[in-house]
Parts: sequence; structure tokens; C-alpha cells
Amino acid sequence: MLLKLKEITKTYPGVIANDAVSLELNSGQILALLGENGAGKSTLMKILAGLTQPDQGTIEMQGVDVVIRSPNQSRQLGIGMVQQHFALFDGLSVLDNIALGLPKIARSELRERAMQLATTYGFQLDLDDAVFSLSAGEKQRIEIVRTLLSEPKILILDEPTSVLTPQEADQLFDAIRRLADRGHGIIFISHKLDEVARLCDSAVILRRGRVAGTCDPRGGAQSEMAAMMLGSQLPDRTQRGTRTLGPPQLVIHDAQSTQGDAAIKSLTLHAGEILGIAGVAGNGQDALFALLSGESSMTQERALKWLDQPVGGLDPNARRSQLGWAFVPEERLGHGAVPHLSLTENALLTNLADPTFASNRLIHWSHVTQTAESIATQFDVRHAGLHRQARSLSGGNLQKFVVGRELIKNPTLLIINQPTWGVDMGAARHIRDAINTLAESGGSVIVISQDLDELFELCDTLCVINHGTLSPPRLIDDWTLVELGLAMGGQITETIS
Amino acid sequence: MIRLIRRADVTAIHSLISIAVAAVLTLVISTIVLFLTAKAPVDALMQLLTYPYQGGTVIVQWSKALNMAAYLGVIGLGLSICYRANVWNIGAEGQFAMGGIGAFGTWLLLGSPTAWWAIPCLIMGGAFAGLLWASIPALLKTQANTNELLTSLMLVYVAAQTLFFVSNGPWQAPVRYSPSQTVFLPESVQLNAIIPGVPTFHMGLPIALGLFVVIALLVLYTPFGYRLKVTETTPRAARFAGYSPRVTVWAVFLLSGAMAGAMGAIYLMGDIGYVTEESNFLRGFGFSAIVVAFLGRLHPVGILLAALLLGYVAGGASWIQANLREDDSIAGFIEVIALMSTLASALFLQYRVQWRGFATQPQENR
Repeated sequence: MLLKLKEITKTYPGVIANDAVSLELNSGQILALLGENGAGKSTLMKILAGLTQPDQGTIEMQGVDVVIRSPNQSRQLGIGMVQQHFALFDGLSVLDNIALGLPKIARSELRERAMQLATTYGFQLDLDDAVFSLSAGEKQRIEIVRTLLSEPKILILDEPTSVLTPQEADQLFDAIRRLADRGHGIIFISHKLDEVARLCDSAVILRRGRVAGTCDPRGGAQSEMAAMMLGSQLPDRTQRGTRTLGPPQLVIHDAQSTQGDAAIKSLTLHAGEILGIAGVAGNGQDALFALLSGESSMTQERALKWLDQPVGGLDPNARRSQLGWAFVPEERLGHGAVPHLSLTENALLTNLADPTFASNRLIHWSHVTQTAESIATQFDVRHAGLHRQARSLSGGNLQKFVVGRELIKNPTLLIINQPTWGVDMGAARHIRDAINTLAESGGSVIVISQDLDELFELCDTLCVINHGTLSPPRLIDDWTLVELGLAMGGQITETIS
Repeated sequence: MIRLIRRADVTAIHSLISIAVAAVLTLVISTIVLFLTAKAPVDALMQLLTYPYQGGTVIVQWSKALNMAAYLGVIGLGLSICYRANVWNIGAEGQFAMGGIGAFGTWLLLGSPTAWWAIPCLIMGGAFAGLLWASIPALLKTQANTNELLTSLMLVYVAAQTLFFVSNGPWQAPVRYSPSQTVFLPESVQLNAIIPGVPTFHMGLPIALGLFVVIALLVLYTPFGYRLKVTETTPRAARFAGYSPRVTVWAVFLLSGAMAGAMGAIYLMGDIGYVTEESNFLRGFGFSAIVVAFLGRLHPVGILLAALLLGYVAGGASWIQANLREDDSIAGFIEVIALMSTLASALFLQYRVQWRGFATQPQENR
């Protein structure tokens, strides 16, 4: 037994990030760690990397109890981590980058060892190339070689394929298999189920900080894994009444983004309808949002129709001002709001095409301030002054502000991505109630979310996004857990609907 | 061990602290360098700081500083607009040169008039020429995605060669003038001194101030200024707000090019009177203005102060060169030290320093 985590628990104010998580890793084993965003994967890895300490539980390495107090100690214990984001200096050569952060050894010796590792594991790497000229896959190989030089027993790869082309991913998998053959224990963090099924020989699924289950992913256990990520049963919907839907408003037919990263085959949205889009993270939710908001362009203007008018060619502001649409992106800071601008200034961000807010020459600050005040009171935004920077607010309060800014306009269509991600319970309640109120009054809503409880609470209809493609929507009561799992695992076929 | 903790909220107080830190750093380092290099360091430092009152005509000395500050301020403000939009125009020197050429060309096109109405026409001609010159990197960036840093800089050297060409070629003055220059603009088409006997304090200065104020108001209070604020740190939010990145690139390039071009025209009409080769026409305003833009933290008020500071220092440096035979390259040195100090102290704007040991446990980030 290489590594054994026993009952690891870690709490942050307001959340239990890891709740009695146990897992085991043998040498030569490739273990997948699966889970949605916020399931507790990163906290667990931070504990192993020595970046944070668990509140309870023990870590055992090769039969000995250890306490990992620092990243250095983690390395000395033989844990190597390849991060999702590279820490490389673009101006330096590959060899220089490898040398950084390693104890001092002679250049020639380092070169020899690096070359040896590269050939052993089948990495093509020219040590004298400048890093800026390399592809993401090559940069990742540098990180891996650098990590391997400290001779780790356990290698942790955090979503390593997110930046790779399929070919590069294949090469990476070959290397990972070779590493496992030589007795390394591998932890492969991912939410791509098909990759896990191809590569890993066991999988631990985390959900809301707990181990939701373990399984053998080989041989097409994608839907089983998806089901475990979702929870053991579909959320209870008895509290929710059925709504009567109005006439169709939004009709999408064969819409495709110009970059080809998002596609909707066919979708109809009625007045007063809340449509949910479920899916495992990283399956093109952002690209879909950009397609709907007009931030990315689509191939055919006619593909998107609003009240029978083709509107696919309109930019975000035209969609807001001419159609009355409103958008809330997933990323609060930097997309939905500008961190260093005040709340008042942020109230203007999505109202620029509205002449009561700004003309060509002047901004009507009194109106903007009034609006900011109304948003704050109506949506219970707790702030220390509207002149304070947006980034000074807590996540929940800023989200209420960003959602409030859109809902106060009473939009005809609200498109909202991850409405309550990283938000406390109270704020989440407030936001969901506001979405419901909008639908009651006849507005249409598209909710993109990875939180099934949320989707089942809010939505009338539901579809699933997988690899950028949307499944046909269905009434929410017509979905079964098995089918949802299949769809999210990418095994949907047209016959399901 | 020192830790840097990111501030949750940046206020005016933090700004003032970081500016004070920069000022002290600049003064200390410049003094050290002066003491290491100057023959009579105490005297040199003293005279550098107080040169308008060291025996020359006070108004003449001050007007030299103001004259330079006018060019640096307006061009720097234009550049700050680019930089805030993440567009790296470093070719203001070339846009300035083309402004001079454009103004002179306009005068020729109008049939070499001597009437006063030629003055505004020449300024507009200069602005238009600067705008055209700046439209080249804008076009290349928006159409071919070239790096505007390179294209705008390279065009400086093309503009410098154009100065050489016109002053030695088609517009070369008759032999009784000195070689490689055009004829002088007539007195009536020059921007005359406001105070008799102080030629550097000419009508171009109030015009520059007016231009500065108008553009500063545009940057501070209009929807265009808001666009810059959003684009500056969060291009993604800018697209979300409906701003087209392409339009932003065009707008900032054309505006900054026109401003540099207008100043080129004013320089032609107020300070020099004719077009000549690079070495006599260009004084590096376009490059120093880059320093001014960053020294002023890309904010109009800061840019105004930075321009005055660099104008004053340059005047002081030439004073100690003339009177104490000291090397006037100290001006360039102080310019660089001020920039470095400002950039370094910007750190304190975003972070606060914590000494580990007597501080509380650092907060964990999830």
C-alpha cells in the first residue's frame, strides 16, 4: 500500500470541503479522482501537497503515519504534483525551466537525467528550445519531467488533459501507463468520464466532500460514474407545483458557433419556462453561454429565432436592448463584474445600450446610482458603500448584485450560468426565488448548472450538454437517473428522446 | 520573511502612500547617482532642484519646463488611452514627426498662405497626419493580428526617414538656407510668444492645455472613459458589456495618433518653424511620453504632474550642463529612476506587506 488516507476531514467557514474521505493507492495503480467543481478534489490535493492541513484524519505512506506540513515535505515524502496551470518561464529554455526549483546539480548531469526520463517515457522534448515556442502539450511534458526528477513515488495529475489535443492526450496516457508499469502510483484528477474509463484501473468519486462511491471504470462504467457524481437518487420535487407555460418564444435550430465549440440542434423555449442545462463541468457550458449571449458569433443568423425573428446576428447589447434579454455569466469577477470598479460603476456594465443610463456623450450617473441602490435593497446585497470596489464583496453578495442587476430589468429571457456556484445557502435561496418569480411573471429562463438539486428545484424542462452538444430537452419528470447519467457520460442517443 | 497580502479594497490613501514611496525612492537614488558622478555634487543637486532661481531669467527657465511638459502631457495622455485599452502604441515619436510633416504639407497644399486662419488648418492637418500614421498599426492589428508594439515602433524609423526625405528632397529650401531643411513658415503662421522675449512660452501652450483638458474630461467622465476602465483590467467583461475589441483598437490608436500629430504641428509652428532632419526635429517627446503615461499611472491628473516633473528635471539638467559643465544625461537617468520607482511602488497599491513572525497566521485560500 503506497498511500492510505483515513477519514480526512477539512472544514472551511460555512463548508465542509472534505468529510471523512478515505482512499487507498497501490504502486502501479492509476486511480481516478472524480467529482464536480466543489466536490472536494482540490482540497484533498492541497492536503497531499502540504498546502493545508486536515482537521481530522490520518495520512499513511507505505505503512507509516505522516503529517505533511509543507510543499517541501510533501516532495520529500515522494509526492509529485503536476498542476493544471503551468509555472514556466517563457523566455528560458526547457532545460533552464527544469533546473529551476531543483536542488543544485551540474547542468550536464541534469541534461542527461532529463533526457533519460524523456526517452523512457516517450516524451519528445528538445531541452534547448525556448519555452514560448512550445505547445501546451510540450509545456506539460516539461512539468512532468521536472516533477519526475525529484523521483516521486506518487504522481498526481490535476486535469492534465484540459489543455491538450486528443493526440497529445493519447501520448500522455501512454506515458502515464509506463509510469504505472514502473511502480509509480498515479492519481488522475479529471471530470472527463471517457478518459477515466480508458486510462484508470480504479476510481473514487467525490460528491459534496464525501466519497460517493468507488468503482472499476474499465469497460464503460461512464454512466455508473456519472450517477455517483450526481447522487444516489434524483432530488425530491414534490414541493414544486407545475407551471403552465406560455407560447413558444425562443426557437433554436441547428445553431453553431463560428469557432465550432458549441452547438444546439433543436430547442424551443416557452414564455414562463425554466429550461435547465445539466452537464459535467468542462463540457462546453461557457461556449454555449457565449453563443446564447452573443459574445461569440454563430454561423447562421436564422438558427436563433426570437418571436419568429432571426436574431443570431445581434451582439450582446443588441440582444439586451432590442430583445430584452439578460445574461449572468459563471465568472463573477472579470466577466459579470469588473473587480476594481465600484458597485455603482458595475451597475452600468450591462445597461450601456439603454439611453436612460448613458447616451453617446454622457453617463447619467444619478440614474445609475439609483439603480445600484435599488439592486442592493431589492436583492439584499450587503455592502459597505456603493462606492466600494466590486471585489471587496463576498461571493454571495456580489452574485446577488450581478443577478439583481439583470433581474431588476425584468428581462424577457434570462440566461444564467451557474447561478449559485460558490454562494452561501441564504444567497442561493434568494437567487433561486428571484429566478422563480421571473418565470411566474412570464419571463423565460435558461439555467446552466452542474448542481442537479438546483436544476430539479427550478426547471420545467431539462437537457444535457456533452462535448459542446446539447441533447434534446425533455420535461423534467420524464428523466430517470440512469438516463441522466448516460447523457452526462456522453452515451446519449437520439432514441432516448 | 516578508509576505505580500493582496488588499481587498484599494482606496485613495493607498494611492497617496505609493506615490510618496516613489517620490522618496526617486530622490534618494538620484541623489546617490549624482554624488557618484558629478564633479560638484552638492552644487549640482542644489541647482538641479532650484534652477529657475539660480541667476537666469526666472520666467525663461520656467517656460522651458512648461514647454516640454506641454508636449509630454498631451502625447502621454494619448498614449495612456492606448495602454488602458491594452493596446501598446509606442510609436508616438513617429506620429509626432508625421504631425509636423502633415502640418507643413497642409500649408503647402493651401498655397503657402500668410493669413492667421492657416494656423488651425495646420494643427488639423498635423492631427490628421498623426491619425493616418497611427492607423497603419491599427489596421495591421485588427486585420492581420500583428503585434502593434513592433509595428508602431518600426514606423517611428520610417517617419524619421520621411523627415530626412522631405527636408532633403521635394521640400528642400533654396541654397541660402542651411542644408536639409524646408523654408520657414511665415511669422504670421507661427505660434508667437505670449510674453515678448520668452520664445518657449508661445501660443501653442494654451492650445495644448485646452486639448489636454478636453481629452482628460473625455477619459474621466464619458462613456468612452468607462469603456477604457472596463477594458483596462477585464477584456472579457468588456466583451460582455458589448464592446467590440476591434473598435477599441481603432479608437485608441486614432485618438492617440491625432494627439501626437497635433503636438507635432504645434512644435513646428511654435518652436522650430520649419521641417528638418530627424536629429534636429525630434527631441524624444514621443518616447519620454511613454514614461510620463506610466509615471502618471495612466490617469490624467497623474500624467499632468508627471509631465511637469519631467519637464522641470530636463530644464534643470540642461541648466547644470550649461553652468556647471555637468553631464545632462542625469535627466534621462532621473526619468528612468522615477519610472522604476513608480512601477515598484505600485506593488504597495495592490498588496500590503506582512512580516512573518509577529503577524497572525496567513489566511488560507480555498
